[in-house]
Amino acid sequence: MSEAAPTPDRTYESAVGRLEEIIARLDSGEAELRETLALCGEAKDLIVFCRDELAEVSGALTELGLDELVAGLESREA
Amino acid sequence: MTDQLPLDGTGAEPSLDPDLPGPFPVGRYADRLKEFLRGRPKVLVTGEMTGFRRSRVQAFFELRDSQGALPCSIWNSDLDRLGLDPQLLTDGAEVVIGGGLDYYPGSATATPSFNFRATHLRLAGDGDLMARLKALREELRRDGLFEPQKLLARPMLPKTIGVVTARGSAACQDLLAGLERRGWRGTIVWADAPVQDRRAAPRIASALRGLAELEQVEVAVVCRGGGSLADLWAFCDENLCRTVALLRLPVISAVGHEVDRTLIDDVSAVCCSTPTHAAEELVRVDVRAARSELGVAAMRAQRAGAASIRSRGRRLGELAAGPARSVRTERVRLHQKLREVRAAAGRGLATRQDLAGRHSLVISRKGEASAKPADALARLGTFESAIRGHDPQRVLERGYARVESLHGEAVTSAAAAREASEVSVRFADEAVHARIEEDERDE
Repeated sequence: MSEAAPTPDRTYESAVGRLEEIIARLDSGEAELRETLALCGEAKDLIVFCRDELAEVSGALTELGLDELVAGLESREA
Repeated sequence: MTDQLPLDGTGAEPSLDPDLPGPFPVGRYADRLKEFLRGRPKVLVTGEMTGFRRSRVQAFFELRDSQGALPCSIWNSDLDRLGLDPQLLTDGAEVVIGGGLDYYPGSATATPSFNFRATHLRLAGDGDLMARLKALREELRRDGLFEPQKLLARPMLPKTIGVVTARGSAACQDLLAGLERRGWRGTIVWADAPVQDRRAAPRIASALRGLAELEQVEVAVVCRGGGSLADLWAFCDENLCRTVALLRLPVISAVGHEVDRTLIDDVSAVCCSTPTHAAEELVRVDVRAARSELGVAAMRAQRAGAASIRSRGRRLGELAAGPARSVRTERVRLHQKLREVRAAAGRGLATRQDLAGRHSLVISRKGEASAKPADALARLGTFESAIRGHDPQRVLERGYARVESLHGEAVTSAAAAREASEVSVRFADEAVHARIEEDERDE
């Protein structure tokens, strides 16, 4: 599976919303062949993005204290 | 007040001082000030108690709210008479006191002091708190502070969330359990803060500001278990609520309460009654369910796309098969026609054979009925001689010639010969070409 194209404005919710639109369009059977191929490609891209987003919050819970996080950031900046 | 003080300036020496009454001896002035303040009407005042301490004869404390503070005191005798549980008189306790202004004028060796001398003290009841809450709520509403948080975009699937709470509390455990139920295992940034007493509100506000400064924190929750309105009074702090309202970080209020809303509920993006509910609002995507839904969506998209392409392939196949089918149909039709033609030809031949047979029969019968063959031959010889007599070749052999145009048409008159100018004269053996020229003498 190809990697999702980096889209800074894309969010999980926007990706899921677009995916639903694409499926509805494909299900309608109204899309022409060229559009169908483009939609399939876009859907694949969105699925990869959503999969990666879910994977990021499916591993192990990370707990940080605000103070230690701030201290870490400050030391990194220094 | 000044008219009750000795303002006649008796004994005052002319000086370069500003044009004011006096100067008065301070002790006398302080004494009159004490009388003046003690003469003010007695009132009830409500606020948050802080710095409560008892001395040998009286107790001191301050009464505060977001807009000001008042130094207060109460005689131990009055306090004891009230029979209050000393444990309740702690920092952050919301109280109502009754009394009036007092002033201790001090002396040459004692420091003067001003305070509100309480003769009555009780913990604020829900009615008192509700009245203050109502007034504060109206003020925040007037300032348009209920809306800003609700207009902030809140991610459905944040990777990092901030939690302001007292670590290890039951509410904290409930929140974690709620997040785990949704299958969410991102990053939690804990911002510890007390969630009850007078120091809670500024600490909560500070923690939220700290979280808001971190770019990676996408949403924050202020979390605490249930309690009475008095217990939750920190969450009605005006400064805290104004801070929350103006943060650019979405804040979820999860201050457990059963009936009354705290003010932080009003100004936050979302108000949740339990930590479990807060977990659902923090992470609006059930991660486990979303993973399987994503699989279904991927399957649907793939199937829909494949079906769409397959149906077009079928149509294309049908279209491609069209010409071949037409040829096949035509071939069948042609074979049919051929069979029909053959059948018709067979039928026609049979009919003609039958007819020929019948004609033959008729002729043979007629032949039998006519004269004998020798007679017929004689008659045929006669006919042949007659015909030969009319043969043009026989005429030509006798010395005649036939005049024809160059196109082979018969020229039958002199005028036609002149008009043709060239003719062909056919003799018995062959034709000769002739030009028509007429001698003028003949004319």
